[in-house]
Formats: sequence, structure tokens, C-alpha cells
Amino acid sequence: MQISNYMTHEHRACDTVFAEAEKAAAAGDWAEAEKKFLEFANETLRHFKKEEEELFPAFEAKTGSSEGPTQVMRFEHEQVRGLVGKMADAIEKQDRDAYLSLAESMMILLQQHNMKEEQMLYAMCDRVLPPEEKSGLVDKMEKVEL
Amino acid sequence: MFQNSGLSLDQAPPISVVLRFFLGGSLWGVVAGLWLMLHGEEALDPAAPAALILTHLLTLGVMLSFMLGALFQMLPVLAGVSFRQPTLMAIRTQWPLYFGIVALIEAFSTAQKALYLLALLFLGAGLLPVASRMLARLYHLRNHSPSSRGMGFALYNLLLLFFVGAWLALLVGGWVSRGDLLALRQLHLGLGLFGWIGLLIVSVSFQVIEMFYVTPPYPKFWARRLPLGITGLLTLELVAALNFPSLLPWIESLVLLLLLIHGLLTLRRLSQRQRPLADATVWFWRTGMVSLVLAALLIVTGHLMPLPRPFQDLSYVLYASFALSVVFAMAYKIVPFLTWFHLNAQGYFTAPMMHEVIHPRYAMRHLAIHLTTLFTAIVAAFITPELWRVTGVLLALEFSWIALAIYKAWHLYLHVQATEERFDFGGMEAK
Repeated sequence: MQISNYMTHEHRACDTVFAEAEKAAAAGDWAEAEKKFLEFANETLRHFKKEEEELFPAFEAKTGSSEGPTQVMRFEHEQVRGLVGKMADAIEKQDRDAYLSLAESMMILLQQHNMKEEQMLYAMCDRVLPPEEKSGLVDKMEKVEL
Repeated sequence: MFQNSGLSLDQAPPISVVLRFFLGGSLWGVVAGLWLMLHGEEALDPAAPAALILTHLLTLGVMLSFMLGALFQMLPVLAGVSFRQPTLMAIRTQWPLYFGIVALIEAFSTAQKALYLLALLFLGAGLLPVASRMLARLYHLRNHSPSSRGMGFALYNLLLLFFVGAWLALLVGGWVSRGDLLALRQLHLGLGLFGWIGLLIVSVSFQVIEMFYVTPPYPKFWARRLPLGITGLLTLELVAALNFPSLLPWIESLVLLLLLIHGLLTLRRLSQRQRPLADATVWFWRTGMVSLVLAALLIVTGHLMPLPRPFQDLSYVLYASFALSVVFAMAYKIVPFLTWFHLNAQGYFTAPMMHEVIHPRYAMRHLAIHLTTLFTAIVAAFITPELWRVTGVLLALEFSWIALAIYKAWHLYLHVQATEERFDFGGMEAK
């Protein structure tokens, strides 16, 4: 469960910062909202990069499939990236309604994406990858920078 | 490999699959409200056909519709379980079900034996293929979450419920003679209200409370064992119904205590949520869980000593409020999200945001109508029975309210598709 534990922990950490940003935006504290949102965006995009550059290729090499679940996950990453851009815009304009509305979509989009990964993809990775490869992967992912 | 192992990460089913069930469910809710308006107090008397009809309008019409819509949407996400032709399957499920409900209502009001058979035939044709396929796919799933396991058990209880209902119909019609009518009726009620509806909501809450509101997770042991615990007790109830009917209230009380604890755990989690805004859906969940806790207390008390009629009525009202509040909480999240999600995934950059599909104020107004309905029902139970008719009007109003929101969302979705410019992702987009 090495991959599952490591990646799931990152999902939860992103949720917490996301909630903090939303709380600040709802209260009209835009400086804090911007700070927390940036933290959320950086952590999320770094997590995606870990998956797209390390985890997914390793999984695809093992299963011989690059058109299955990993492709859908990549597509959903693009959707999230699109929303990150729109949310950044809303913060810049200090548009509370737009930010909270986008935050609602982002939260559900991310959560259903995370669920698929946690329930299926990570579990599959843990099953098909040999233990030594998993340790190496986690080390490599730790070093990924934005 | 993924198809064969039942693991498919395909995108969600078309939005129409979900919305058709939600809209259908809302319209049955309007019918239930009108029924209560027309029949007043009589619709609360368990011995009257009017009460049987109201119950089945709310359970088969409303709950089953919303459940199927939600499962078509959630199973691919939760469990990688999706169907090849979801639209066709949805239509083949929905229409026989709805004909079956009409036949069943007619059967209850006229007591014509042939109508019971017709209702069974239609309900079976609608329900059995979809429920058994969903259950089979869930059964073969390798990695279960508490949610997917709970939904599996809820579907199992639903199938059991159908067969006990069929047995009851055959017993009433005189086609079979084995079985104690009252015990089977109690079992049917227990399976339906607690094993299916109660457990279904429990399963949904395991996933949704933590996910939508960012709360601490439920205790692991609780989340893993509760679905099996409830189903085990209800299976025991099945055995008891056939052999030791006097044990039924005791077993049912245990099930209710489990549901009560779950209600309290959920309320605690909602108060610990990290997301700051208490939108209408948070309050719908809270209303639902407070209703569940109070309903469970009343029903258990009713098993220990005879309850005066107003308290009995109150227990029905509260249990209905539990189920309906959660339905509304879910619908106000799912409908705007799906509208945005599908359009966005299809490449419409001008896809309306969730608040543009259904504004939070609209949901808040629904909450106000919902709480007024609940309050009116409580006054009707204790003080003025005439108010049951007003409760009916309010119930019809609140279901019309949500039906309108769903219709508008669907309309907006089609409008954007027809008029806005679309970016082509090269065949990767959701259908």
C-alpha cells in the first residue's frame, strides 16, 4: 500500500489548504486567500507532475497500456488546471461570488478524481509494481519540482 | 484488462441518465404531496390503503428514482462500475418502474388481485435487471470502500425487499398461504426503511460528508462494519419473521440504534468541517440527521411501549424528513456540478459555473420551504390534523421547486450545447 498511502496523504493535505483559502476568500481576507490558494495550486500541480512524469509511466510500462485509466486521469488533470487558472483570476479580481462558485466545482471535481485514483489506480499500482520499484518511485516523486 | 476485471475508469454516464431519474423522482414527490393534500389524516393511518399508497409514492417513486440516478453517476466513480449503454438501460429501467408504481397504486386502492400481479411484473422488469447487474459488478470489485460495500448491501436489501413485497402480494391475493402476514409486513417495512433507504444514505454519507465538506473521516471500524452489521441484523429479522415473530421489534431496535449512532457521528463531522460556508446542503444534511436521531428514538420507544398516535405520526414524519432532506442535499450538489462538468469536459469554455446553474439562494429558499413543511407536519400531528392537507401542499411545492431547478439545469445544458462555441479535445472528452 506504499503508493496508495503516499499519494492519498498528499490529496488530504491539498484539501486542507484548499479549505483554508476558501475560508479566507469567504471572509474577504484576499491577502490570506491568495497565499493559501497559491500553496494549494503549487501542491496540486506538483502532485500532478509526480503522477504524470513518474507514477503513470511506471504503471503504463508494467501494464502495457497508455490508453486506459491513466489517460482519463491526465484529461481530468487538464480540467483541474483550467479551473486553477479561473480561480486565480477570481482572486485577482477579488470576486467573492465567482471564487466560491469555482471553488465548489473544483472541490467536487478534485474529490471524484481523487476517489478514482485512491479506489482504483493507486491500488492497481500497488498490486502490479514490485516493492523495490515502489520505493524507488516514491523517492523519485519526492524530488519532483514544479 | 480493465474491462475484464470490471475496473473501468471511463467518464461519467451522459447527464440525461441522471437528470431523467432526478426529474422523475421529483414529479413523484409532487404526486405524493397532492395525495397527502387530498387524503389528509387518513394518509397517515397505517391500516388505510391511502397510507400504503403515500409510502410507496415516496419510496418507489421518489427514493428509488433518486437512488438509481445517483448510482448510475456514482458507481463509475466509486467503484469503476459502468454500463455499456447507460441511456438505454436507464430508459428500460425507468418506464417499467413507473408503470409498476401506477399499477401498484391501483392495486392498493381497488384491491384487485390481477393488478398486484401486473405491478409485480412491471416493478420486477424495471428493478431486477439493473439492481442485480449493479450488485453483481459491485460483488466482483476487488477494492471496496465503505461506501461501495454499503451500496452493495443496500442493493442486496432492496432485492430482498422486492421479494418479500412480492410474497406479501401473493399472500394477500391468496396465491400462497405460507407466512404470517403481519410479520412479513413488518419485515418488508424494516428491509425497506432501514436496510435499503437507511443503509443507502449511510453509504453515501461515508463518501460524501468527508468529500464535499472536508471533515475528519468516520471511525474506520464503524465505516467497515456498519453495512454488514445492519444487513446481518435484517437477515436475522428475515429468519425471525418466519419462525419467531416476537423477536422482530428487538432486532429492529438494534438496527435503529446503529442508525442513531451514525446520525450522531455525522452531525459531529458536519460541525468539524473545514470548509467554512454553511450552504443549504449542509443544513439539509443536518436536518436529515437530527430527524434520523429523533425518529430512531421514537421508533425504539414504540417497540418498548405503545406510543400515542401523535408520536407515531411524528416518527413517520421524521423518518421521511431524514430520507428526503438527504435527497435534496445531494441533488443541490450533483445537478449543478454535472451541468458544469459535462459542458466543461466537452470543451465549452463558457460552461456555466455551478452557482449560475442553481444559485445558492434558490437552494436556501427550498430549505425554508422544507423546514416549514416539517414544522407544519409536527403541528398537524399534535394539534390540528387539518394541517396534514397543508403539509401535502407544501410537500408538492418543495418537489415542484426542485423539479424546476433540475429542468432549468437540463435546459441550460442543451442551450449551451446548441449555441456556444466548442473546443475540440481530439476525442478525449466525456460523452
